[in-house]
Amino acid sequence: MNLQDKLKEAIRHRSLAMTLEEAEKLAGYVGRMPTPLELHLFDTMWSEHCSYKSSRSVLKLLPTHASSVVVGPGEDAGIVKFTDHDGFSWDLVVAHESHNHPSQVLPVEGAATGIGGIVRDVYCMGARVTGSLDLLRFGDPLGSSGEKTRAICRGVVEGIWKYGNALGVPNLGGDTRFHDGYDDNCLVNVVSLGFVRHDRIVHSFVPIEAHQEQYVLILVGKPTDDTGFGGATFASADLEDESEKGAVQVADPFLKRVLSEANLNVLDYLFDKEIKFGFKDLGAGGIACVTSELAAHGNLGIEVDLDLVPVSIPDLPSEVIACAETQERYGLAVPQRVAAEVLEIYNEKFEMPRLFPGAGATVIGTFTPEPFYRVLHCGREVANTPVEYITEGIIYDRDWEPSPAPVIEPDSRPCDPQEDLKKMLLSVDGASRSPIWTYYDSEVQGSTHFRPGEADACITVPIPGCRAGLSVSGDGNPWIGELDPFLAGAHAVGEAVRNVVATGAIPIAATDCLNYGNPEKADVFWQFRQGVEGIAAACRELGLEGEDPLPVVSGNVSFYNQSSQGGAIPPSPIVAVFGRIDDFSKSTDISLKTPGNLIILVGNRMDELGGSLYYRTCIDHRGGKVPEFRGKLEREMALFVLDCCESGMSKAVHDISDGGMILAAAEMAIASRPDARRGIIFETGLPDPVVFYSETPGYLIEMSQKSWDAIENKPEFLSVAGRVTDEFTIASPLWRMDLMEILEDHADRLDRIIWREEVTE
Amino acid sequence: MKSVPLVAVIQFPGSNCEYETARVIRDSGMNDRIYRWNQWRELKDSRPDAYVLPGGFSFQDRIRAGAVAAKERIMDMVFSEAADGKPVLGICNGAQILVESGMVPGWERGRIESALAANHISGRSGYLSRWIFLRASDRAQQICPWLGLAGNRVIPLPIAHAEGRFVFSEENHARAESSAALKYCDDKGIESSDYPVNPNGSFLNLAAVMNDRGNVLAMMPHPERAYWLWQLPPWIPGEWGDKRGQLLGSGSYAAAEGPGSLFFKSLADFFRGEH
Repeated sequence: MNLQDKLKEAIRHRSLAMTLEEAEKLAGYVGRMPTPLELHLFDTMWSEHCSYKSSRSVLKLLPTHASSVVVGPGEDAGIVKFTDHDGFSWDLVVAHESHNHPSQVLPVEGAATGIGGIVRDVYCMGARVTGSLDLLRFGDPLGSSGEKTRAICRGVVEGIWKYGNALGVPNLGGDTRFHDGYDDNCLVNVVSLGFVRHDRIVHSFVPIEAHQEQYVLILVGKPTDDTGFGGATFASADLEDESEKGAVQVADPFLKRVLSEANLNVLDYLFDKEIKFGFKDLGAGGIACVTSELAAHGNLGIEVDLDLVPVSIPDLPSEVIACAETQERYGLAVPQRVAAEVLEIYNEKFEMPRLFPGAGATVIGTFTPEPFYRVLHCGREVANTPVEYITEGIIYDRDWEPSPAPVIEPDSRPCDPQEDLKKMLLSVDGASRSPIWTYYDSEVQGSTHFRPGEADACITVPIPGCRAGLSVSGDGNPWIGELDPFLAGAHAVGEAVRNVVATGAIPIAATDCLNYGNPEKADVFWQFRQGVEGIAAACRELGLEGEDPLPVVSGNVSFYNQSSQGGAIPPSPIVAVFGRIDDFSKSTDISLKTPGNLIILVGNRMDELGGSLYYRTCIDHRGGKVPEFRGKLEREMALFVLDCCESGMSKAVHDISDGGMILAAAEMAIASRPDARRGIIFETGLPDPVVFYSETPGYLIEMSQKSWDAIENKPEFLSVAGRVTDEFTIASPLWRMDLMEILEDHADRLDRIIWREEVTE
Repeated sequence: MKSVPLVAVIQFPGSNCEYETARVIRDSGMNDRIYRWNQWRELKDSRPDAYVLPGGFSFQDRIRAGAVAAKERIMDMVFSEAADGKPVLGICNGAQILVESGMVPGWERGRIESALAANHISGRSGYLSRWIFLRASDRAQQICPWLGLAGNRVIPLPIAHAEGRFVFSEENHARAESSAALKYCDDKGIESSDYPVNPNGSFLNLAAVMNDRGNVLAMMPHPERAYWLWQLPPWIPGEWGDKRGQLLGSGSYAAAEGPGSLFFKSLADFFRGEH
């Protein structure tokens, strides 16, 4: 067999995702037929998941620079300045990932590993992880695949609580949406955040000191097995069927918790002794990727001995030991002279081998001045390649072709506010998310100020003794996505910004996860480009601090979200925005407070109801003109809302999104105290769908008449929409809806559909 | 006793509430120190005045929640100190450990007389996080060093657990009432066995159980998550909601104490000899 045939055979036999051209490129690099380990290593490094080979040229459009950015995209997580306290600068560390395919195949394990993986990215920058968010997209739970969708939803929620609650990282919300475009391919996007002292940021490469002194590579954590072998490749192809369960990893929050405590101890020890080190989590590509990347990014070579790797299954082939994605492991590059002390902390002080069979820390490699990546196993050399090729990556320029959706407005738009509001409150998208939230621990660590649902964004006060609060929200609307992929990106940023601003916090950073179908298809690649352009446009407008844009500091691209039967998912750019409020005690929730106060509408209503909850739920229509993104106006409105909060004028703030002004009003009433129920009476009762249901971006603010009168030169985007009442109703001079009638249904709706399966249509 | 009392927080592998628990002890005017599970020598040498077993998932909830931690060597020390009358508090997983070690209700030395079973809620299983309301029993108000300040007040606290239902064997049902320390009630203080007032089906609506002497308290809700007023949800009704509403927007809101502070301030008072 000639080389080309051997490569073809290897690709087929090993189920590699790489093309023949890529395999030939690899063979050229090593000057022979690559070893199995080399094939799998490069298959992972060149996978879409790791290399961003299709997306990289487009991602350049995103604004990633701002004076607050400490670490932009490129490392495991992004870092921005947060606040100064007690003589130290504190930075915010954020990461955003998807775990879509694994969650579709094995929902519990897939979702759990999603959290397990994303928190490692934040931990390995030296941070304490103080929160996570889940952005979930499921199929239609009442549709033709409803039974399967409901089971996946239950499994994903179970995976999230079983992992996150045990790990002790508070859940800070996120969102859950249902759309039949996800029937065959759910989305599980996860965001993790934490804080690190600026002088204690850790990097994921062997430090420059390793050129002067012998450094070794310590592997710590769970013993290696065969789970997750080929995981990155699995995430980078169409989901053909569900037989690929072996590529899903198995997560262990208990071990992670102990490991995190031990890691903090080790990092403190190294910092206190002023020893330079490198630290990186094991994710895609396992040992092979972590060892080669730690070395390559530090311009060194490394020799790894697989015989030293603790394994829980005997006789694994070298490529499996090297590339399996066994969870709960880290790689640490330290000087040889302190290796024994580091091992002692993990193995004796924290007793890892006693707590979990086979777990612990071991030296498995030695950094070398010769820039080669060498791996030994059973006395044989199983890989030997120049390190520079490993991280070099590849780029493709994909073709794209516009395929805009036609704008089709409904023939008629009947409007019956009482009935429509009821329908929307009881729809799967309008129902309360509390059946999901009550599975999650949102309060562990004792820093949570606003839990999910209490305000537009969750707020935590993460630095003990410091009043600076972190506000965070994640958003993305598939109903906009299917109608206009550019606006889906822009509004994902816009809504997340509005949610953070509504609490009184100023946005300081964004992350994104770009979920699309097959990028090799020109129409899908166009959707992707549009989404990135939309995000970029919105971020350029919505940097509210000085002249800088809102920087995108971390993110992820997830392609191939489609099944062999179905088409691509709706374009799904999902954005998380992080904000800071200097005094958290000034933050605003959504609950109505004082009867007689005014309800101020920020943002005039426009006739742009395409993709709205009203169209979908009340008149069964899925087309139409999507709300425009008016960047300058969004910015002015946001600055106004922030001013109101800072001055203490706003008593409650809620952004207007799904269901328009009327649903926002109802949610503010439902959030009021059970022993002091409040409602709203609108000034107008005329049944105009544009007024009540349009999802034109905006806010509702509760403020006193006195505060309203004190606003000089009122901007034209302000108007009085109504007043707070001491009745639990949403009313107008013409009609009145009693919220008590639907309160329990609204709260239980998802529980009854998803968990109890009592409602099936 | 030391001039400033020292309260030990025991960290087991899998604990995850140790830092915030230590923080509220410190804020209550006492000294705090976290002892890792294998630091039993250090614990013995420093002779703390009180012990707290924090929440989490010690030893991965292997066998049953709390069962493995209860057998750790460091618990021998806690056990003998409790027998000498030192205050011991177990929160959530810490409560599970106290039950599994037989320290509560503690009628017969070394016997496990109660259990924390899986939540029993119609149509729902697994974890439940929500805010509930509690009241201290008359006896607990008198004898428990953690409840001296509780009085008859309705106390809102969050729960976050999958196994929080106190159960007793049938021959002990009559006796269980004497061990009642905290019971679930509604926001007006009225007890009910219906969900969600009783959020897990606990026997006698028990949220916390104590030993006969009252110095050992095993509670499922988390007082350290309601230590400050700002930790309370905006919708909390009643006395604490009113207090929150009054202070909101004022300079004193951020430092105001919440209902969870009663437990730790009670202990500090106890050491000052005020109860």
